[in-house]
Amino acid sequence: MSGKNNMTVDEKMATVKIKIDKDPHITVNYELCKKCTTRPCLIICTAENYKWDEKKDDLIFNYEGCLECGACRLICPEGAIDWSYPKQGCGVKFRFG
Amino acid sequence: MDKATCIVVGAGPAGSACALSLARKGIETVMLERGRIPGEKNVSSFVLFIKELKRLIPDCMDDLPLERNIIRTDQMILCDTDVKTITSYNYQNIKDPITFTAYRRKFDAWFAKKAADAGAELITGMTVTDLIIDNGRVIGVKADDEELYADVVVGADGYHSKVAQASGLNPELNPEYCMLGVKEVLALPPEVINERFQLSDGLGAEMGLWNYNINNFKYGSGTLYTNTDSISLGAFASVAFLKEKNIKLHEYLETLKQHPYVSALIQDSTLREYQAHILSYGGRVEPDKLYGDGVLLCGEAGALVETFTGMGIPTCITSGMMAAETIEMAVKNKNFDSGMLKNYLKFLDSTSLLDIVYESQKEAAYWTGIGKDGFPADMKAVADTYNKAWDVDYMSKDYYPLMLNLYLKVGKHFMPNIFRWPINTGIKISCLYSKVYEKIKSIIRNRFYEWKKQYDS
Repeated sequence: MSGKNNMTVDEKMATVKIKIDKDPHITVNYELCKKCTTRPCLIICTAENYKWDEKKDDLIFNYEGCLECGACRLICPEGAIDWSYPKQGCGVKFRFG
Repeated sequence: MDKATCIVVGAGPAGSACALSLARKGIETVMLERGRIPGEKNVSSFVLFIKELKRLIPDCMDDLPLERNIIRTDQMILCDTDVKTITSYNYQNIKDPITFTAYRRKFDAWFAKKAADAGAELITGMTVTDLIIDNGRVIGVKADDEELYADVVVGADGYHSKVAQASGLNPELNPEYCMLGVKEVLALPPEVINERFQLSDGLGAEMGLWNYNINNFKYGSGTLYTNTDSISLGAFASVAFLKEKNIKLHEYLETLKQHPYVSALIQDSTLREYQAHILSYGGRVEPDKLYGDGVLLCGEAGALVETFTGMGIPTCITSGMMAAETIEMAVKNKNFDSGMLKNYLKFLDSTSLLDIVYESQKEAAYWTGIGKDGFPADMKAVADTYNKAWDVDYMSKDYYPLMLNLYLKVGKHFMPNIFRWPINTGIKISCLYSKVYEKIKSIIRNRFYEWKKQYDS
């Protein structure tokens, strides 16, 4: 695996240690997402946790791979994202921050 | 009912500085940290200045976990086909080191341990979910379903501060005054790093990568610095800007990595960790929203950071120390009302912290400048001028206006100390190889100072 280029975000995310919280620390109101036309969450998330399912015309969201930057909560135009930090020591663990 | 004198939320630089100062004053302090190890939730964007830390912990150099002592600084403007760079070496930093790189997981943990050793109680792996508020006064915190009470709560819990939001001091977060950063830590053997950056063991380099135009990514900036056996490479942009321009920051980072200059530096490296973090970028500070009944905000929670020159951690440490002074005064007077805690501003005013933060707000307006002639337009002007100044024939009459333009555009607004010297040095070097050295030197000098005088007035 070379750090030069050609790595996908998923491959990059494999280098991050995350202790997954059973309770999601981010919840999304999918009904509001259906109304959204701009969908900035799709571009702002550096872990690409927000994806759009074109077939179902619905948002696919995965809280488990979250890097906890919180950019999505700032950017959501619909206020559909309920964001908090993971509890009890869960979530991302940066070793080389 | 568990009750402490003070609860510090967050064991980052601000929280640890505050808790350490309080513990030394003999004030009962509990620190709550959501990471299982302090620092494991943090991501550094650049180097660490330790002047303020030395003031707080004079013998800190004995066991501070550091990576490299930074002696080389590069500022470069990256274009598709060329790079303009200014490299400076600061050998003073070998004798009297003040600038280092460090991993936050080691640094923050070390700092929190200092506070714990001094007597503060450190609880990790506990997330503050809400405040306990009675009649508008903060009397405690809810953390992972437990309730803890205190006379005063210090919010040092970072950008997304729960204390700031729940106390109503800073309920809104503005994406315009917020930078998103994405970073990769790329492993390389130490000797390879030494060779590529012309360093010896233990010494390091930092680079500011100012993007002019790479692959149509016109705007954005990057950072690159060396750790002992890795290179940290990151990209930054305002959240509002990314939204407006529909740019994926991690794609921009890939573009940065493929630039010939950067790719040569990181060649054959292995990705060790992928990171993202958010930092406030000025514009958010309102002094009267830094204190309330039974509550104080420090560090990033109160937007008391100056990120433009990498002064994040020092300002956090300073604000933590000043919060501790305020609390000491409140304890003596047995009064934790906002009227008493307002003295925080006086203590902050005794330092240059607020001045620095206000200054960085102006910079933030300048750099994030969406819809204005801010970052994009000015960056273009700077790079244009910069490019031309290098290519122009110094014998031609165009030289002086260009140099002047460079001085005005770059020197006045954009890293004055770093960018002022190439003007003088450029003239010196050009003339050195000229047959009419003395004559031209005097003409250039006179003309330049004439121009300068005219425009400075």
